Amino acid sequence: MRALAGRFKVTQEGIVFALACVLFLGFAASLHGFLTSGNIIALVRSVSILGMLGLGMGLVVIGRGIDLAMIATMVVAVSWAFSLAQTGMNFDLALLVGAGFVIVVGCITGILVAYADVPAIFTTLAMGLAVYGVGRAYFFKIDVQNVPDNAGWFSFLGVGRVLGVPVPIIAFAILAAMVYLLLRWTRFGRFVYAIGDNLLAARIAGIPVRNLIVAQYVVTGLIAYAAGLVMAASVASMSTRIYNSTMIYDVLLVVVLGGVSLSGGRGNVRSVLVGTLLVGVLLDGMTILNVSYTEQNLVKSIILLLALIADSVINPRDEQTAQQQQGDI
Amino acid sequence: MTKVLELRRATKEFRGVPAIRNIDFNVEAGEIHAIVGENGAGKSTLTKILAGVYQLSSGEMLIDGAAVTLASPSEAKQRGVAMVFQETNLVPSMTVAQNIYLGEEKIFNRLRGLYIQAQRFLLSLNFYVDPMALVSSLGAAKKQMVEIARAVHHEARLIIFDEPTASLTPEEKFHFFNLVRRLKDSGTSIIFISHALEEALLLSDRITILRDGELVVTDATANFDRERIVHGMVGRTLSHELYDQDKPRRARAYGERVLSVQNLSMGSIVRNTSFSIYAGQITGFFGLVGAGRTETMKIVSGVLKRDFFHGGSIELGNRLVRYRTPRPAILDGIVYVTEDRKVEGFFETMSIAENIQIGNLARGLNPLAVVSMTEARTLARQWTERLGVRAIDASAKIIELSGGNQQKVVIAKAAVQEPKVIIFDEPTRGVDVGAIAEIHRFINSLADRGIAVVVISSYLPEIMALSDRVLVARQGRVVEELDIAQATEERIMFAAVH
Repeated sequence: MRALAGRFKVTQEGIVFALACVLFLGFAASLHGFLTSGNIIALVRSVSILGMLGLGMGLVVIGRGIDLAMIATMVVAVSWAFSLAQTGMNFDLALLVGAGFVIVVGCITGILVAYADVPAIFTTLAMGLAVYGVGRAYFFKIDVQNVPDNAGWFSFLGVGRVLGVPVPIIAFAILAAMVYLLLRWTRFGRFVYAIGDNLLAARIAGIPVRNLIVAQYVVTGLIAYAAGLVMAASVASMSTRIYNSTMIYDVLLVVVLGGVSLSGGRGNVRSVLVGTLLVGVLLDGMTILNVSYTEQNLVKSIILLLALIADSVINPRDEQTAQQQQGDI
Repeated sequence: MTKVLELRRATKEFRGVPAIRNIDFNVEAGEIHAIVGENGAGKSTLTKILAGVYQLSSGEMLIDGAAVTLASPSEAKQRGVAMVFQETNLVPSMTVAQNIYLGEEKIFNRLRGLYIQAQRFLLSLNFYVDPMALVSSLGAAKKQMVEIARAVHHEARLIIFDEPTASLTPEEKFHFFNLVRRLKDSGTSIIFISHALEEALLLSDRITILRDGELVVTDATANFDRERIVHGMVGRTLSHELYDQDKPRRARAYGERVLSVQNLSMGSIVRNTSFSIYAGQITGFFGLVGAGRTETMKIVSGVLKRDFFHGGSIELGNRLVRYRTPRPAILDGIVYVTEDRKVEGFFETMSIAENIQIGNLARGLNPLAVVSMTEARTLARQWTERLGVRAIDASAKIIELSGGNQQKVVIAKAAVQEPKVIIFDEPTRGVDVGAIAEIHRFINSLADRGIAVVVISSYLPEIMALSDRVLVARQGRVVEELDIAQATEERIMFAAVH
C-alpha cells in the first residue's frame, strides 16, 4: 500500500506536469497568439509573483504548518513602507522598517503556533485579519499606495529587463534557487522536513523544534515581502484590496497541486514550480479565451478541490490511519 | 456449577504470531475469577476475545454451552458479556443518567423521568452516585461505578474488568471490592485482571495464571499463596537460546556515578523516586505496567517535565540539571531511545542515511550550516555495518524495512549523538529474534566502551540477560536495587508486584 502510494506520489508531480504540457500544446495549437515569445514571457511574468508566494507557502507547509496571513503581511508591510517613504523617510530605510514589521509578525505567529499550541490554520487566519486591521487603522489611510518618487532603483524590479528577460522572472528564479538551497542543503531545511514528518521524533532527536517553527514563519513572511515588492514595482503601486481577493487560494493551489502535502514533510521546490506552471498556463489560456473572472475562479476552485482530495488520499493527515498503513510493529 | 462462558483450545494470532495459544478457560456462574500474568502474557488478548473486541484464530467459544462467535463488543453485550476498560468509555460532558441510558434515548427525551429512573436503578445497586452529576466531575471510583451500572443495566451476566484498581485510592478500592462482592451475590460473574496479587488472593474464587500466551494453571484461590503465583508467573517454559540463564557471565564493575536522581516526582505517575546510574555498565529497569519507568526516564532525558515544586533533583556528574526539552539533555550527553519507534522514533519520508544523519545534525548549533552528503553516506555505511541493518542500500526508505531494521536505524540515530548516558526503552519490542541478538550485542558493546546504559524492559529474561544491575519500579518509585549476582526472576517479580 505504502509502496504503491510512493509510486503514485512520484507521478502526482508527473501528472500535473504532463497536464500542463498538454494544456500548453492544446492552447498553442488552438489559440492564435498563444505561442508567441511575447505571450510566453507575459505568462511566466504573470505567475512569477504567485510562484514566489508559493515558494514561501511551500516551505511552511512542508513543516506541517500553513500561513494564511501571507497576503495580509505582504500588503501591509509594503504599503507601510511606501507610506513612510512618502512622508519623507529615506526609501531604503522605509523598506527595512517594512521588513522589520514582517519579522515581528512572523515571530508572533510562530510563538503562538509553537509555544501556545494554537493550530496554524487558525492562528494565521486571525493574524491575517489583525495585520490588515492594524495596517488600515494606524499605518496608512488610503487603500492604494503609490511607489514614492524617491524610490530610485526600485522600479527596475518591476519593469527592468536583463538580457531581454523581465526582472520579476529573474527574481522568481533566484528565489527558487535560494529556497532550494535552503531546503536541500542546509541544516535548517533538513529540520523543516523532520518537523513536518514527525514532530515528536524531531523533538526527541534534539532538534530545537519550537525555535524552528518560529523561524519558519519569519522566513515565509520575508519571502512574501519580497514577492510584494516585486509586485508593487511592476504596477508602481500596492493595493491593499488584494487582501480581499482570492490570491491566498491561488497560492495554496500552486502549492498543493504540485504535491507538497498538507500532512507535512513531503514535496520540494520542484513541486511548487510544476504547480505554478500548470496554474500559469491555465490562467493565461483562459484569459486569452476571454473566460470571465468568476468562471476562472470556479475552474481554479475545482482544481484545488481535486488536488486536496488527491493529497488526502495519498498522504492521509490522520495520524492513526497513517500508522495503520505502515504495517508491521 | 454451570459454566457461563467457556473457551476451548482458543488461539489468537496477530500476523502469524500467537498472542495466546490453546487456552482452555471457563467462568462459572456467580464467581469472581482473577487473571494474573506478566506484561505480554496474553491477559488483555484473552479478555478482549471474551468481550468481542478480537475474534479467535482457532478454537471455540461457548456461551451457556452453545458455540458462538462474537463479531463485535456490542454483540457480546447482547449476550450478556460486558467489559470495563482501564480508561472508561463514558462521555464526560454528559450526566451520569445520560451515560447509563446512552443509545436508548427516545425522540422526546424527558430528562426528569430519566433522572428518577436512574436514581432508583443506582439505589437498587447500592451505588451512591448522583444521577444528575456530570461524569467529568466524578472521581475514578465513581466513574467505574457508572460503567458498572451501565453494564448491569444492559443485563450483563459476566463483567470483565481490566486493572480495575490501578487508578483507585485505598478507600475507593474498599468500595470497589464491596461492589464486586454484591454483584457476585446477585449471580453476576466477574473476571478481573490485576497486577496486585493481594487483591486477587483476597477477592477471587479462582485464579488463572497466564505466561507467554499459555495458560499455566487455573485453581481455587484457597490453593494459592503469593509464592506460588509468582512462581507460576515467571517459571519459563520457552527455552530460548537468547536468554540462556546458564551462560557464564560476569557483571561489569561499577564505573563513575554519572547520574544521580533524588526524590523525582511527576503527578501521580512518578512518585518521589531516587536512584543512580553508573558508567560502563548496563542498568536494567524492570517494572509492570503503570510503574512509571518510561516516564521516569523521559524526565531524566528532558522529554517530559517533572513537577515544578517538589519535583526532586537530577545531578549529572556534580551538576544539578533541569531540562525542559530533550535538546539540552542531548547536548549534555543524555540520549533517550523511544519504545514507540513509529510515533516518536523515525522519519517515515526519509531514507536510512537521512534518518541516521538527523541525529548528528541535531547536535549542531548553526542552522545555516551546509549538510554534507558525504557525511551522510559515511555515517550510514559505518552504522548500518555496526548494527547489521539489512537493506538494499542506505538510500532505501526506512518505511520499507522490517521492524527489526527500523529499530536498528532508530538506535543508530541516537548512538550517533555520542551519548554519555543512553536510555533504551523496550529496545526489542516488535523485533524479530535475529535482530534481538544484534541489538543486545550492540547494547553490550556500548557498556564495554564505558557508556552508562539503561535498559527499560518488561521482559524479565531480557533484563536478566543484559543487566549488570537491576532496578525494580513499582507504582512510580524504584523499590529494589539488585546486583545481577543476587537477582533471580522470582526476586525481581516479587518486588514488582504489590
